[in-house]
Amino acid sequence: MSIKACTKCNLITTEERCPVCDIPTSTNWSGLLIIIDPERSDIARELNINIPGEYALRVR
Amino acid sequence: MEDSINSIYALKTSVGQEKNVARMLARKVKDSGIEVNAVLVPESLKGYVLVESSSKIDMQNPAFKVPHLRGIVEGKNAITFEEVKRFLKPEPIIASIQKGSIVELVSGPFKGEKAKVVRIDESREEVVLELIEAAVPIPVTVKADQIRIIQKEAD
Ligand SMILES: [Zn+2]
Repeated sequence: MSIKACTKCNLITTEERCPVCDIPTSTNWSGLLIIIDPERSDIARELNINIPGEYALRVR
Repeated sequence: MEDSINSIYALKTSVGQEKNVARMLARKVKDSGIEVNAVLVPESLKGYVLVESSSKIDMQNPAFKVPHLRGIVEGKNAITFEEVKRFLKPEPIIASIQKGSIVELVSGPFKGEKAKVVRIDESREEVVLELIEAAVPIPVTVKADQIRIIQKEAD
């Protein structure tokens, strides 16, 4: 079971498909962003992230 | 962008433990209700995690007692949001390399060597290099993420 990231929304998951976008995920990712409070986070706003969770910064 | 009350703090960690520290920290601040909105681990920033918060970070708070978390970077040179943006959208390095660029290898058997870019294969994200200090210039093919640009433009 490897850790993957969504190639669209960058969400980190162990699933083969992103649970949010339902598109294939990739094992080739780097960087880590943990969004705790998307309502109050400028970083979340900058990246249009609305769901708390772990995200990769770059996915190939 | 609207004015923000958030600041970005840099915390020192043991090198290689950045993600573990970030995950544990995120869990602990959530549990204790401390105001931290996001934790960021840029790949290029070894030994640091960045924390976005609207309140001053109190390292004495038990939530910040995390293994491999070494302390906070003090100082008046706060990290601006503009600087953070660079980490948020890392440009694929291959897009900014050109033929003739001078690069340094950051991993692999030639780590630390400087080289000149002789060819770029964008679809495979590979570059062909010529080591500068080698007596005989042998082309070396590496992945784009194994190099760091020293000088972008060819002379
Ligand atoms: Zn997704």
